[in-house]
Amino acid sequence: MRSPFTQLVCLATVAIGTLSSFKALNFFGSDPRADEDHSQMIAEELPHARPPRGVPLTITEGTWLRAPGEEWIIQQNELARKQGLEPRFTEDPSAADGEGAWIDSTGFIQKRYDEEEDFWAYWQWVGPAQLTRGRRDFVQFCSSCHGLDGDGYGRSGQWLRPSPRDFRQTNFKFTKVLANLPTDDALKRLIKRGLDGTPMLPWDLSDEQITDIVQYIKSLSPEGMGWRDPFTGIGSIVEAGENPWAGRENFAIKHGEKVYHGVAQCMLCHPGYVNPRDLPGLLDQPEDTVYRENLYLPVLKDSEYEVLGEKVKILPPDFTFHTIRSGQTPQDLYETIASGIKGTAMPAWKGSLSEEDLWALAYYVQDLVEEYKDKPAERRGLMERLREGL
Amino acid sequence: MNRINSLLAGVLSSRWMKALAVVGMAGVAEAQGGNRWAPFPPASDFGHRFSELFWLITILCSISMVIVVLLLLIPLLRDRARPGHKANYDHGSSLHDKRLTAVISLATFIVLDAWVLAIAMKDLREAYWNMPEVDQAETYPIEVLGQQWAWHFRGPGLDGEFGTPDDILEMNQLTIPKGRPVSFQMTSKDVIHSLFLPEMRTKKDVNPGSINKTWFKPIEAGEFTILCAELCGYAHYQMFGNLTVMEQEDFDEWEESASLLGIAAYDPEDEEAQWAWEWEE
Repeated sequence: MRSPFTQLVCLATVAIGTLSSFKALNFFGSDPRADEDHSQMIAEELPHARPPRGVPLTITEGTWLRAPGEEWIIQQNELARKQGLEPRFTEDPSAADGEGAWIDSTGFIQKRYDEEEDFWAYWQWVGPAQLTRGRRDFVQFCSSCHGLDGDGYGRSGQWLRPSPRDFRQTNFKFTKVLANLPTDDALKRLIKRGLDGTPMLPWDLSDEQITDIVQYIKSLSPEGMGWRDPFTGIGSIVEAGENPWAGRENFAIKHGEKVYHGVAQCMLCHPGYVNPRDLPGLLDQPEDTVYRENLYLPVLKDSEYEVLGEKVKILPPDFTFHTIRSGQTPQDLYETIASGIKGTAMPAWKGSLSEEDLWALAYYVQDLVEEYKDKPAERRGLMERLREGL
Repeated sequence: MNRINSLLAGVLSSRWMKALAVVGMAGVAEAQGGNRWAPFPPASDFGHRFSELFWLITILCSISMVIVVLLLLIPLLRDRARPGHKANYDHGSSLHDKRLTAVISLATFIVLDAWVLAIAMKDLREAYWNMPEVDQAETYPIEVLGQQWAWHFRGPGLDGEFGTPDDILEMNQLTIPKGRPVSFQMTSKDVIHSLFLPEMRTKKDVNPGSINKTWFKPIEAGEFTILCAELCGYAHYQMFGNLTVMEQEDFDEWEESASLLGIAAYDPEDEEAQWAWEWEE
């Protein structure tokens, strides 16, 4: 028989073990996400997710953020109807103290009047609960690069080029929309797909989590900028429409080469992929046309994006060498070329070029990638042709 | 007696045992075909040492397991209760038993552990710790910067110096020449990572605040894997890259292109983008 003391110790151990496992299984609390004090919860139960001391994780006030207009709402409902779903938004004239609003599962959108600017705009109300959820996930998944306050200067974001976005600058490069800012769906797609050749991974978080993170990112816009600017434009991903070159891809590539070096003047920043001696013949230009020096190399370009108060420069990709950030199919390339890359020297080409030219460019760039990227022998041949006689 | 017999018979004839046998055989068959059950064939000049050691340990362990299980069967059958024989219990506390245990343990240690240890030390001394001299023109140096969740590699470029405009910067992709020793100096921005090149049989931790070194010499051209082998956060599983080993002539052309594009991308005002450190001798 063991001594009473030993028995007592055993009993206490069992009791403590049971209680702590009850605590770990959350017998005592309700849904942790409904808790008020999130920082407390994280510190006690998820030591691996503990943020540095003093980082606030709770947002107590909701906020108004710019939303796309009524056209977009109708379009969304139409889209849902085509897929056989319930309409996404329901219009409720009695909502919001009788002012009327479009309500969906995440919140509601309202047309509001800005007295100072004398301007009607569509605004979306995002509640504190959703912002807090977004903030929590942002701190866990995004903050190592994008910083705890979304300033683009987290621990892992230092020394990184291209640098992670500073969300307070409200400048998003690969949104693929024509307007200044993207819709939620466009941002969500970007987060889910990631950006190739950068540490921006394809994030396999749940749809709800990404929605929350997107709302939080939008709320980081400073007053009068981005989603807090009544005049800002918000657009959906540019529509590719009918492919005019379907079944005639080889002709598209040939035509694309002309557009690339001719009308669109892509080779002013990106490398030219034709020897300068052959260019006048290709483009029907006078024989003595002078092109820029070292045409086989890209040219470093200014951008509007700032790191540590200095504007950074960006090298336009050499398609036979660098990784294309946002997709390599003709469809992806069409979207990127048509919508441009925000804040950089790459303009939106939709409208300036015909649909045929745009698609031809996409096919040409895809062909360059397929033929030469990661193929040392082929690329060496190309480079020798380009530098010949220089 | 009946209980043990029925238990044994039950276990041996159960479908779990059969399933285990099937899986085991499938595994062996796959391994012989050089499929994913077996380790990748080594692609570095000291890689075969690691493979040989791996197989030696596996085979020795398998043989000793068979011996131990067979030895276990002897008392199980000899001393069991049966008609005309009472079960015989023994705690192995006699001097004879203790001596026997000591002798078997010592023999096992000398034959198995010491053997493996000797080979392992020899391999470490002759290959893994035998780092190439960096001032040799043959050696290709690489600086590695790990972060959550990506690998950054910096090659010296055409001038062979780090921290100059023609440095070659790559992310989640490393291009090296075949047949030359490649020397790594590695550090991390944030947390501990571990550079793992399974085909090159190379793995070394990458720690923030210190520079760790490793090396190997690729003997095969092709595409290989770069992994992180230290749990480094949520997206650790996505922290992988591609190692390209090129023939020397392909590599020369690639290095020239990469260097020229490095110079084109060089912005002297953006000091932060130039994170190279002095190569440690």
